[in-house]
Amino acid sequence: MNSIFDSRILNLVIFFPLAVAALVAFLPKDEKGQIRAVTFAGMIGSFLTTLWAWMRFETRSPVEFQLEYRLEWLSDVGISYHVGVDGLSVALVLLTGVLGPMVVLSSWNFVAERVKEFHVALLVLQTAMFGAFTSIDTMLFFMFFEAVLVPMYLLIGVWGSEERQKAAVKFFLYTMVGSVLMLLALFAVYFLSAPSGARSFDYSTMYNGMMGGSRELATYLKANPDGNGVGLTPVAFALFKYGPWLFLAFALAFAIKVPMFPLHTWLPDAHVQAPVAGSIVLAGVMLKLGTYGFWRFAVPFFPVAARQYQNFFAALSVIGIVYGALMCLAQRDIKKLIAYSSVSHLGFCMLGIFAFTAEGATGSAYQMLNHGVSTGALFLLFGMLYERRHARLMSDYGGIARVMPVFAAFFLIVTFSSIAVPGTNGFVGEFLVLLGTFKSNLPLAFGVIASTGVILGAAYMLWMVQKVFFGQVTHQENLALKDMDKRELAAALPFIVLIAVMGLRPQPFLDVLNTSTERYIARAKFAAGDGTSDERLVRVNVRQLPRVAVAQAPAPTPMPEGMVRPARPMMLQQLQPVKPALQPGDAKVLP
Amino acid sequence: MIVTPVFTLNDFLPVMPAAVLVVAAIVLMLSEVFLVSATRTYQAMLATLATVVAGGVAVHNAFEPARAALQGYAVLDPFSSWMTAMVCLGTGLAVLLSSGFLKHRNAERGEFYALMLFAAAGMSLLALSAEFITLFINLEVMSIATYALTAFLRRGPRPSEAGFKYFILGAFSAALLLYGAALLYGATGATKLIEVSAALPAAFIASPGLVYAGLGLVLAGFAFKVAAVPFHMWTPDVYEGAPTPVTALMSAGVKAAAFIALVRTSLFLVKGIPPEMPFYLFSGMALLTMIGGNLLALPQRNVKRMLAYSSIAHAGYLLLGVAALFAPQGAATTTDVGVFSATPLMGLVPNVSSGVYKGILFYLLGYTVTSLGAFGTISALERREDETRGNTWDLERFAGLAQRRPGWALAMAAFMLSLGGVPPTVGFLGKLFLFSAAVDAGLLGLAAVGILSSVVGVYFYLRVVVYMFMRPAPADATTPVRHWTTELALITSAVAVVGLGIVPGPITEWFGRLGMIFGH
Repeated sequence: MNSIFDSRILNLVIFFPLAVAALVAFLPKDEKGQIRAVTFAGMIGSFLTTLWAWMRFETRSPVEFQLEYRLEWLSDVGISYHVGVDGLSVALVLLTGVLGPMVVLSSWNFVAERVKEFHVALLVLQTAMFGAFTSIDTMLFFMFFEAVLVPMYLLIGVWGSEERQKAAVKFFLYTMVGSVLMLLALFAVYFLSAPSGARSFDYSTMYNGMMGGSRELATYLKANPDGNGVGLTPVAFALFKYGPWLFLAFALAFAIKVPMFPLHTWLPDAHVQAPVAGSIVLAGVMLKLGTYGFWRFAVPFFPVAARQYQNFFAALSVIGIVYGALMCLAQRDIKKLIAYSSVSHLGFCMLGIFAFTAEGATGSAYQMLNHGVSTGALFLLFGMLYERRHARLMSDYGGIARVMPVFAAFFLIVTFSSIAVPGTNGFVGEFLVLLGTFKSNLPLAFGVIASTGVILGAAYMLWMVQKVFFGQVTHQENLALKDMDKRELAAALPFIVLIAVMGLRPQPFLDVLNTSTERYIARAKFAAGDGTSDERLVRVNVRQLPRVAVAQAPAPTPMPEGMVRPARPMMLQQLQPVKPALQPGDAKVLP
Repeated sequence: MIVTPVFTLNDFLPVMPAAVLVVAAIVLMLSEVFLVSATRTYQAMLATLATVVAGGVAVHNAFEPARAALQGYAVLDPFSSWMTAMVCLGTGLAVLLSSGFLKHRNAERGEFYALMLFAAAGMSLLALSAEFITLFINLEVMSIATYALTAFLRRGPRPSEAGFKYFILGAFSAALLLYGAALLYGATGATKLIEVSAALPAAFIASPGLVYAGLGLVLAGFAFKVAAVPFHMWTPDVYEGAPTPVTALMSAGVKAAAFIALVRTSLFLVKGIPPEMPFYLFSGMALLTMIGGNLLALPQRNVKRMLAYSSIAHAGYLLLGVAALFAPQGAATTTDVGVFSATPLMGLVPNVSSGVYKGILFYLLGYTVTSLGAFGTISALERREDETRGNTWDLERFAGLAQRRPGWALAMAAFMLSLGGVPPTVGFLGKLFLFSAAVDAGLLGLAAVGILSSVVGVYFYLRVVVYMFMRPAPADATTPVRHWTTELALITSAVAVVGLGIVPGPITEWFGRLGMIFGH
């Protein structure tokens, strides 16, 4: 059941790309083909490691963070190297792994200068993103979150189009401002969540330390909505007084990353100027760091404040959905159009998160994956066109379907996915989000307005497809365009397969995501004072560090009845007696 | 009756590092007399070697139990020994930086290194003085050497202006200190800190005015040396005018030594007076210094001046730690968060003193390597032809450094991030220790101000990084000259800044041991 490898898979996932990067760095600068091939092979290898992690993830296991690994590091201040995945993060890790090889294929010919640095940056970026999605220690998360910026900044700033410097700096500064505020809020949570001596930046310590306070505050606010907080315990009182501010600090950092309206202005610039590879990673994975941050940190840490600001953030999401779509209708630049469509799509993700219903959250999580696949594919395909013509305006094209029929077919399928045609993956996600919104306590208008976003989405995408692919060939130079070659087919086919599989068989993915959706909703409800009152159900249970567990950790809470916490091997317990293998079905039998 | 003092070798243990430094300094001065060739790199090597040996002795001393030595005129405790070790580290790096810097200006002389070693000896002795006259003399040993170093390059009006300014204000502050000590002697009849401390409660009841005046003057004298607001005015001008490696030594060593002496003296001198007085004093000074330093650094385009103001801000964070030592306890705490009140987060205020000592030492260590590295990069970028134009240290000098000298740019980025307190650098850990101690002591408001003001700091530190990596190099930019000693110093500090940030290793454990300060 539990192999010795399980606790190391994530280390492999995170650091494999970095090792390949080191290898690539030693290759001679002029061996461009070799560099590309090694990077591609490395990305495939990295994809296989993420696939392995995905396979080892057990949807029916009661353990939240699986494949956990924890190593003592900076014990003085309570930072440890602590990684693990739950349903959402393992899915995002897989998405990152899938996109890796396509990114390399997409820029095979496109990037001809400083090839080595380009590929090293891509590989380092993978490592940073894997690290951010798998960190359970918030400080580790913060470091990876920041580390993502540097290679992305270089990708945009060095290999981008004409205005790349400006776009790169804008991207960097926007994100930096947010993360500094988040660091501040992290400090506050660090001091709030545990008494001196037991303080830790670990997610479990932070969440568990504030959980009771949140619950208490929610009950208090229900009883006296205009109370001044007298009589609350210190943690609850601090949450009462500063919770909203801390929540907003976290939210701002992640809202910039998502990006939510009105903080989205860096995104069109960055996308337009970025090279294809940068756009794919940016839209496909990096934006999810924002939604993931809301899901993992901002909302669970401050559930009461999140409830207070629910309408505000839901409203911003809805505005983002409609505004993004309207902006798309006004665009003539195709890359900008795809960028604004991201604003619209991620509005759905945020709406699902702030609906606080099971459907909404599941849909939001699924939409994160969808958006990665469909928008990644859109950028990839458009990149092929751009490579041939070096033009971004719709008016530069027209009637492309006659010259490049295969390409047009691919583009159309991806478009369908993007506009959520039933049978494609986009449909499942958006449908669930809208369903969740209607079922939630949000005003009905929110759901109704968000639904118009779906219609507008169809309008702008199909309008763009019509202008680019159908009609007469309006430009002489477009007549000579070659259809997709084998490399391009190889890069695009996996996306089509994913679109179909995720659209027709969403259940396996939803099963994985549900494990974290349930906890997300349970935590939100627990803190709001309804749902279960058994705090053991929402507590974050992780592996304790040996020394800390003896010296400072509070008494371990017993697992709820009927749940088993399987002992997993870690570095200190290699010699374990062989236990009979547990089947997922007989979880009630204690070993 | 005259009692002949009996000294054992053990008594001289605390002054051994300083003795090594002084002997090496004398050797250096003599070598200058008998020098035949014009190559002086070996002098830098000799000076570095002396700091290494002295530092080794200091580290050895740091594991000795705390005790009084030399009849109570000095103490041997880990606090002062670690401080000496840091001073040796800082001086060694500064000497390495100076070698290339001086050679480039044809100013390399043995007495420069000798002065640096004398200054280091003074710092080391200042940290372990436990008697007012000793304290004053050691302060002067340190200061006079730094006055001379400040004006060492006698080209143009700036160095002499800076040296003179430093001398006048330094002499003024030393006089304040001496006057305060005299008043305290008048009140208590003793000059040894431990005796003053014992006699203080009675003296306070007899003549509170005298004691307050004495304490105030002594603290003001130290506040000058650590450049706490409102005694900071001299810092930017002196830091800017001094040769950059000397500035590095001043920002790290002089300030650290004065800090250690300040902590030691104030711990002894608060006996008997109302406990909230020192708290208000130190928290007020911390507040002003943190805010003032960061705000004044904000508009600076001159990087050297910006670092001078930033060193004021860092003194403010250290003062925050000192304030935590004197935080009100028990019934004096409140439930409201305020800047001048202690609000225990959970119940009682724990004893934070060992956390504060650890925080102060680790912060000083971090600041020593970071500021040496940062000033070192600046000194490596300086060009002689700019000296008359007055834009030597403009931000523009850093534009496009990443293309010209990628290694330097990376190192400078690490120093800037460390000064800003961004993980995973040593500056982050130092801030975390200090702020944790302050929060434990209940100083929520003050800690919040500290954290917020350090966010302001991130802005101007990152601006340098932005210039290095995101601005194209100006057309007239030249590739800076390399010198192996400079690069050695830069590499050492960069490795220390990042390495200590990732693996603070046994050092935090050493700094966190009990019995750090003699008598406390």
